[in-house]
Amino acid sequence: MREHIIFYSVVKKYFIELKRYFLNTLMTMIGIFILFMLVFFGLRSFEAGTETLQGSIVGFAMWIFAVMAYSEMSWGLLQEARDGTLEQLYLTPSTFRRISAYRVFGSFIFQFLLFVVFLGIMMVSTGQYLSLNAGVILLIGLTLLSIYGLGYIMGGLSLVFKKVQAGNQILQFLFILLLVLPTITDHQVIYFVPLSWGNHMINRMMIDGLSLLDFTLVEYSILLVNSFAYLIIGLFIFTLMERTAKKRGLLGHY
Amino acid sequence: MKTQDDLNKKANNALTVKDLEKTYPQWRKEPTKAVDGISFSVDKGEIVGFLGPNGAGKTTTIKCICGLVEPTRGKINIFGIDAIKDTRKAVSNTSAVLEGNRNIYWRLTTRENLEFFARLHGRSLKEAESEIKSLLERFDLKDKEDAPARKLSRGMQQKLALSCALIRGTDFLLLDEPTLGLDVKTSKEMRAFVKQLTSNGGKTILLSSHDMNVVEDVCERVIIMNEGKILANDSVNNLKDVFNVHLYDFVLEGEPKLSGLKEKYSVTDIQHNNGKTKLRVSLKEADSFYELINHLQKKNVKLEEVKNLDKNMEEIFMNVIEREGGVK
Repeated sequence: MREHIIFYSVVKKYFIELKRYFLNTLMTMIGIFILFMLVFFGLRSFEAGTETLQGSIVGFAMWIFAVMAYSEMSWGLLQEARDGTLEQLYLTPSTFRRISAYRVFGSFIFQFLLFVVFLGIMMVSTGQYLSLNAGVILLIGLTLLSIYGLGYIMGGLSLVFKKVQAGNQILQFLFILLLVLPTITDHQVIYFVPLSWGNHMINRMMIDGLSLLDFTLVEYSILLVNSFAYLIIGLFIFTLMERTAKKRGLLGHY
Repeated sequence: MKTQDDLNKKANNALTVKDLEKTYPQWRKEPTKAVDGISFSVDKGEIVGFLGPNGAGKTTTIKCICGLVEPTRGKINIFGIDAIKDTRKAVSNTSAVLEGNRNIYWRLTTRENLEFFARLHGRSLKEAESEIKSLLERFDLKDKEDAPARKLSRGMQQKLALSCALIRGTDFLLLDEPTLGLDVKTSKEMRAFVKQLTSNGGKTILLSSHDMNVVEDVCERVIIMNEGKILANDSVNNLKDVFNVHLYDFVLEGEPKLSGLKEKYSVTDIQHNNGKTKLRVSLKEADSFYELINHLQKKNVKLEEVKNLDKNMEEIFMNVIEREGGVK
C-alpha cells in the first residue's frame, strides 16, 4: 500500500486549486480584514480595555480559522459532488475518509499560515502585540479537531440531503457565540460545547502570557475529551450518512 | 463438487455478478427496484457491452460493481475478491468513467489531472510518466497538456476522463456512456482506442451505452437489460443469428393493392409518393425473397428498386425488447 503517494496527491491538488483561486482568497481576506478593523475601532471608541481589545484580535483570528476549517470539510465535499468528481475519490485503494483527512491536513497548513499572517497584520495595525509560540499552535490544532468533527457531520449530511448551506451559515454565526462564551459566563457549558474551552486556553496563553506548563491536567483533559469526542461523533455520523448515500444511490447526485 | 472446467472458468473470470438486486428506498413512496436479481460474468480480457433503454438498471449495476451503490442482495466478485465485503481491495484493481465528462477536475490542467489520478491509485510519477506521455500523444492532448480541463472541448474532456481512468493502471475498466455527446469523429477515435485496450493492453472492459453502433463496433458480447432484468446475454454474432430476419426496402411503380402481400409477409412502413410505393418487408428466411418476387410478378406489380438492409444492433435490440414485452 502506497498511502504516502495518495497523501501527496491530495495535498498537492489542494494547493494547486488554491493557487487557481488566489485572487478570490485574497479578496475574501481583504473583506474580512476591513470587517475586523471596524469591530476593533468600534470597541476602542467604546473605551474597551486592553484585554478586551486583545481578546477581539485572538477571537477574530480564531473565528476565521474555525470558519475556514469547517468550510473545508462541508463545502469542499459539496463542491466535489457538484463537480462530479466525488465518486472518483471513492475509487482508490485508500478510503474516502483518509482522503478527506489528507485534504484537511493540507488546508490546516495553509490556514495556519494565513492565521499567522493575518494575526501579524492585525497586531501591527492595532498596535496590540500578542505572543504566538509552539504551545499556542498545539492548542489551536487540538481546538480545531472539534470543528473538523462538526465539518464531518455537515459533510455527511450534505451527502444525503445536499442542500445544507443554510445550516452552514447558521454554524458560522454560532462559532462567534462559542468563541465569546467564556468571556460572558463561567457556566460548565463551556466544557461541553466545541471551540469555547480551547479558545479560552489560547486566550490565556496569547494575552496573559501563560505557558503550556501553567495549565492543569484537568484543563488539558477537558480540551482533549471535548475535541476528540466531537471528532469521533463527526466521523461516526459521516460514516452513517455515507452508508445511507450508498444505499440510496446519492453519492454522485447534487 | 467442482469440476476442473468450473475451476478453470472461475480462474478466467474478471467479474462475476450473481443474483444482484438493488432496490432504492424512497421517502413515503414505494421502493424502486432498479436491478432485479441479475447474474452474469465477464472473462479476463473480454469487452462486454451493456445495452438498455433509460432506467434499465445499467448505471446502477455498474455503480454496484465499483462500490458506489450498496446492493440490496447478491454477490459481486472482481478478480476473485468479494467486492461487497472487501470493496477497497476489489476497487484497487478497478477504474471507471461515469456518465459524461464529469470525472475530471476542471480547474486542474490536463497533465495535473493525469498526475493526480495516477497518484490517487498509489502510482508514483516515475512509474506513470511514460504512460502519461503516451496517453497525451494517443489522444492528441499533447498541445493541451497545460490547459485547464474546463477550457477543453467536450470531446477532449471525455478523452481526458478516459485517460485519467487508464492512468490508474487497473486491469478492469468500467465505462458508462463513454461516447455520450461526442461528435462522430471523436466517437470513432474513442471506439478504436477502447478496442485496442483489450487486444493490446489486456484490459477487461464492461461498457454501457445508448449508442448501439458503439456496442456493435466495440464489444464481443452484449448484455441487453430492461427494467432491471437481463433479456439477452450473448455474442453480437449469435444475437444476429437468433433474430435472423432479412430486411428489404422495395420501391414499386404506382400504388398497387398490397392486401395479399400484407397477409403473407411482414410489411411495414408503406409510403406513397410521386406515383411510387415504398415499403419495408421483413422475411424470416432468405429463400422467401424469390417467392415474394414471384408474387409481385403474378400481380403485375412493377419493381423499380430493391435494397437489402443489413441487420444492425438497433434492430436486434428492438427484437429482444419486443419479445420480452416491450419498453414501458
